Parts: sequence; structure tokens; C-alpha cells
Amino acid sequence: MNSLITSILEGNKKNKLEKFIFSIVILVLFKIFFPLVNATVLVLINEILIFASLSLGFLYFVEITSSKSDNPISLSLNVGILSAILFFIISISAAIFDTIENIEDVNGVIYTFSSVIISQLFILSAVYILASFQTFYSIRQKRVNENYFDYLLIAILLSAFSGMLSKISSELQFVEKTFFFVAIVLVVFNSFRVSWIAFLTKKQKIFILFTSIIISGLFGLNFAMFFDNNIIEQIVGNFSPGVKISYRLIMLYGNVYFGIIFFTTLFHLPTAGAFDQKSEEITSLIDLSKLMTQVLDFKELADSLTDATNKVCNSDSAWLVTIENGENNLISVNNIGYLEAKNISDELLSEFKEQLTDVVSMNKKLIKIKLKNDVRTYIFQAIIIAPLKVHGKTNGFLFATKRQKYKFEQDEKKAVGAFADYAAIALENAKLFKESVEKERMENELEVARNIQMRILPSENPKNEQLEVDALFVPAFEVGGDYYDFFQLGNNKLGFVIADVSGKGVVASYVMAEVKGIFESLSRVIQNPKELLIETNDILKKSLSKNSFVTALYGIIDIENGKLNFARAGHTPLVICSEGKIKEYLPKGIGLGLDFGTIFSSNIDNMEIELNNNDILMLYTDGITESRNSSNEEFGFDKLSKVVENNCNAELTQITRSIFEEVSLFSKEQQQHDDITLVLFKWKNFKKSLEKLNG
Amino acid sequence: MADFNVSSRIDGDVNLIDVKGYLDAHTAPDLENEFNKLIEKKQFKVVVNFSELNYISSAGLGVFMAYVETMREQSGDIKFSNLREDVYSIFDLLGFPVLYEFYKEEKDAIKKFG
Repeated sequence: MNSLITSILEGNKKNKLEKFIFSIVILVLFKIFFPLVNATVLVLINEILIFASLSLGFLYFVEITSSKSDNPISLSLNVGILSAILFFIISISAAIFDTIENIEDVNGVIYTFSSVIISQLFILSAVYILASFQTFYSIRQKRVNENYFDYLLIAILLSAFSGMLSKISSELQFVEKTFFFVAIVLVVFNSFRVSWIAFLTKKQKIFILFTSIIISGLFGLNFAMFFDNNIIEQIVGNFSPGVKISYRLIMLYGNVYFGIIFFTTLFHLPTAGAFDQKSEEITSLIDLSKLMTQVLDFKELADSLTDATNKVCNSDSAWLVTIENGENNLISVNNIGYLEAKNISDELLSEFKEQLTDVVSMNKKLIKIKLKNDVRTYIFQAIIIAPLKVHGKTNGFLFATKRQKYKFEQDEKKAVGAFADYAAIALENAKLFKESVEKERMENELEVARNIQMRILPSENPKNEQLEVDALFVPAFEVGGDYYDFFQLGNNKLGFVIADVSGKGVVASYVMAEVKGIFESLSRVIQNPKELLIETNDILKKSLSKNSFVTALYGIIDIENGKLNFARAGHTPLVICSEGKIKEYLPKGIGLGLDFGTIFSSNIDNMEIELNNNDILMLYTDGITESRNSSNEEFGFDKLSKVVENNCNAELTQITRSIFEEVSLFSKEQQQHDDITLVLFKWKNFKKSLEKLNG
Repeated sequence: MADFNVSSRIDGDVNLIDVKGYLDAHTAPDLENEFNKLIEKKQFKVVVNFSELNYISSAGLGVFMAYVETMREQSGDIKFSNLREDVYSIFDLLGFPVLYEFYKEEKDAIKKFG
């Protein structure tokens, strides 16, 4: 039995509609077969069928009305319109038709059909209204397990069935009256379920105030008319006496409920503005926290913040200032001129600098601002300044001012503080985001620069029996712009260059690429290192920016006889280690790009050296000598020369490795901030060795 | 990062810039700012006092190269004074002494402006 009831009551909206229609069909068939209901059994079956159908109808309608539970206004309008239609039909038909004598005995197909249709219309409307009340009842219900509405339904049912009793025997009328009374009590009790009114906006409250009194009146009239002797009441009463009673109760419910809505709204109206304020505050805080996670542009967020500040705190104007590098930046203004806001905040911030660690509010503030020609005075009734604090650091200030209105309330002051906190977090987020984007961009750029550099540098060292060559290149994280290269000049001559472009990153690597191009081509046509560097300087004139320069050392070795000719343009000296002794060679010459005229060309010299057997020739960039250790000392030339001296007779690769190891050991734990380049040559005098052999 | 500090003083019509600490690519903009301020004020006679400068990188050197032309066109100059030996050797290696005037003492540099 239980499961049967549950299976009838459960189901989705469509199932419920099907069951409902099915029950109506059965009811109509019953009415056609038994148009005259006189026997007690038939009356009972009639009532049971009708109420079964009504219950199913109620379940279906609750599905519809509960979908509108977040919009009580539209729900009450629906109910109001329905009751207006009912009232209209009753009034019209009462005016047109007279009451029918002996209605119990009226028979005929037309009567049966019209009575069923009219009754159904009224009953279903009433049930729909009841379903709406169920929805009203459940709106904003805080406690679960409150069954007063169910009790009401039961009371309505009982009084409806007891109506049948009084039809059978007039002595039993007191039963009907008792249940009717109980139902009325429950109606009144349930009618106090009006808490949803509090959550309406002021506008909606005014609207519901007027509509509720009208709807309440309509329900009252509908209720009263069903006591009157009119044709509809007759038809419905004849259709089912129980329905008539329930209809009355529902109309009474409407009358009482909307009456209570009217009075409640009336009492709520004075506080409606304040309530709106609060709910707006909550809404804007929710909006802001949404915005915080979605918007990365701080300016956009600041605009929403100043806007929200004005709305929530009833201020006339609001603006937001951030502090970057000790300077005030006006980010967003709301309802105030940009310049005005800037001047006022500069003035206020310089006046209250020390006190602005927490939200500050002041009343009756006069601010005088000197402009070029006159002094402008601003009078504020109230000002709030809230600092934007993150991790104890103030990044800016949120201002809210009132010019005409009264001072700020305590909660408004708190709200400004809350908005300032939001702004502080958002500002921090925006900053972190910007930094990470910047970092990514820089890393991409450096990747490009490193690629360029790797392509520019020679992939392998020249191989020659008489001249051994070894090179070391360690790029810095920020590409430093070091460059070295070799040029085969005929059979027995090798040109070489080492250069260091000032600056770092992509720009340095582009200059480097250009420098390579220049040396590649000039080395083929100019045999004089000094002339070659002068020409290089001349070409670089077009491409080097004012604040950048290139140091370079270019030379040519005659592999056969060990004659070395080189010139230097501001670069580190050429070092030769001969028989365990280090010697620096430093011909004069200023860096490329320091001067593009005669000063450069008249201050550069060639230098010629004759190498001895097994001499080591070393070129390097300042990345080696300027490597730093944890106590910020430089590696220096002395350490470098000592390593070379100690390894003067070792293999070239061994010398390279020793230098690298020493530098790494020295500067461990410290980031390498410049490229490290080292080029080593070892010249062997074959003639001398031959002589030795012969001698 | 190593610290850098720049400040300026005035002696007659000569502007003295004191540089302290480490002048490299990261701190060079501070020095550029100082030069920009001087140019805004139409001050073209500058002596840079290096007495408390520990290190200068190529980016730091670039700052002087970028501004010296402007100063000289306006019959001013950038002169250097009080360099530590190791700092001077960086300038020297590059050939700066050919193009710029270096002085042991600040007052000698000021005197030169006459």
C-alpha cells in the first residue's frame, strides 16, 4: 500500500502530468455515467475521485510553481491574475444567469459537460493557487521538518469530506464546522510565512505593497461570493460539496495571506533602503571577488572598486591612488575630475602621511589647493582614506568623500577598508602576473640571443701541426656578447679575433653578428690589423648606439715563421707565456665606438712579436678576470697569469681546463654575470726542432 | 644585487655627481636619471666623483658616452675625478683617458672648468 502511494506520488513532471490527466478522464467518465449523484456510495466515490484528481493536480502544479520560487513577485502576480479571472467569471455569470431551481435533479448532456468544465476550471485554479501558496510557504524556509502546510492540506481535505457528511445528515454539520475552523486557524498560521518580503528590493516592495492589497481584496470577494447564492457556487457545489468547501478555504487563504503580505511590506518599507544597501554591499563584494580571479588588468579592477565604493558607502566620489617608487599614481576616479582627485590626494597624503597605517576618516575637511593663478578650496563633509596594505607594506590608498551628505557611518568606513584590502590583493596579483610575463618574455629573448651567439662562434678550431688552437666559451645566463673567430688567410697565415660587445641580451648578440660579418669580410682584404680595426670602427659608426661600444683584438700569425702582428681596440691585453714567464702586450688603441674620427685612428698601433718555440699565446675577455667570489672579490689578472705560468708546458687543453677549473672554483655559488671566453695558441718552431735534430 | 647610489652637489656653476657602489646594467638607469635632470636644468658642466665607486661595467661606461656629446655641444663637459686604481684601469684599458679628462682631485677638475 505504502509503495503504491509512493509510486503514485513520485515521478518527474511529465509523469505527474500524465497521472493528473488520467485521473481527470476517469472523473469525467464517472460524471457521464452517473450524472445524478444521490446514493451515499456514489457521493463517496464521487468525492474520492475528485480529490484523488485534485491531489495529483496539486502535485503537478507544485512542480510548476516551485520553479518560480526565486521570483515571488511573478508568482504572486500569477495568483492575482488567476483570482481576478475567477472573480470576473463569477460576477459575469451571476449577473447573466439566475440560480437554477432544484439543481440536484437537473439532467442532460449539456448540463453535465458545462458543469464539469466550469467546476474543473474553478477547482484547478484553486488547486494551482494552493500550489503557489505551498511554494510561497517554502521560500526562504529556514527550518526543515516544518509540516504546518501539510497539516493545512489535511485540514482542508477533512473539512471537504465532512461537507459530504453534512449533506447526508444535517446533524453532523458541527463536524464540518469544526474542521473548517481548524483549517482557518491553520490558514492564518501559515499566512505568516512572509519572510521572503525582506529580501525584495525597495522597488519590488513598493510594487508588492500595491498588488497585494488588490489581490487580497479579490480573494476576499471570491471567498464571499461563494457564500452568496449564485449559479457558479450552485454548479460547483452540486459537482462536489467538498470542493466547494476547499475552494472557500483556498480563497480565504489568499485573502489572509495577501493581507498579511500587505501589512508586512508596509512595515518593511521604511527599512527597505537600508536593506537594499546591505544586499548591494554583499553583491558587490561577491562581484569583486569574482573579478579578482578573472581580471588581471589592475586598472579595470580599480574602476570597479571605486564604483562599488560609491555605491556601497554612499560617497559622492571615490578614487584610488597607488604608490610606485615613492610616487603617487592616480589609477581610477569615480565621479570626480582627474586633476582634482590628484591634487586633493597629494595634499591629503602629504598631510597625513604618518597616520595612514589604518583607515582614517575625518569630518568637515577644508582643502586648499594652490593652482597657478588662484587658490581653490574644497569643502568635504567627510573623507575616508584607506591604505592598500599587503604584507605590512602600503601600496596605495583608496579615497571616499562626501561633499553634501552627512558623515560616514561606521559600517561604511568598514566597507571602504574592505574594498581597500581587495584592491591591495589585486594590485599585488597584477604585479606578480606582470613580473612573470616579463620574466617569460626575457627568457624567450635570451633563448634567441643564445641561439644567435652559438651560430656565430666557430663550431671547431682550426687544426694545424705547427699551431695548436684551443678555445673555451662559457655563456652567461644573460648573453654577454663575447665573440671570437679564426680566418684562414692563404696557406700559412691565420687571422684571429676576440671581441666583447658592451651590453647584454638580444641587442648585444645582434651587434655581435654584425661584428662577425665585418671581420669575415675585412680579414680577406686588409692585411694590416690596425687598418682593419680602423675600418671596422668606421663601419660600426652606423649601427652602434651612443652608449655602446665593442672591444676587440685582431691579429695575424704567420704559422711558418711565428711572426705575430696584431692591434688592439680597448680589449684586454694579449698574453704570451714563454718558457714559464708571462708577458702582457698592450699596444695603444681605444674601444670601437668610443670615437668615430681621428681620435680613434691616431690612437691605435700595430704590434709585432716573434714567437718562440712552444710559446703559449692567450686571448681572453674580462668575463674571466671580473668573475667574483662570494665576498665580492674579482678573480683578477694575477690569478689568471699564475695558472698559465704553472701550466706553461702542459698541453693546451690542460691549460684551458685548469683556467676553467680555477675560475669555477673561485666563483662558485656566485652567478656568472658575463660571458667567459678564452682562446689559446701554441706555436711550434719546426725549423728550430729540425735544427736541433740536425745539430 | 650590489648597491649603487648617486647624488649630486653644486659648486659654482659646476655640478658634482657622487657615485657609490657598483655601476652596472641594473644601476646605470639611476645615473642616467641624474644626467637627464642636469640637462633639464641646462647644467652642462659636470664632474663625476668616483671616490666611492667600487666597480663599473660596460653599461656604466656607456652612460658617460651617451651624455658627453650633449654636454660638449653646450660648451660643458664630463670630467672624472678621484678614481680608485682598479676602476681607473678599466677606463684606461678602454682608452677613455684619450677622450675624457681624469683628475686625482675633484677641485682640480672644477678648476679646469674655470
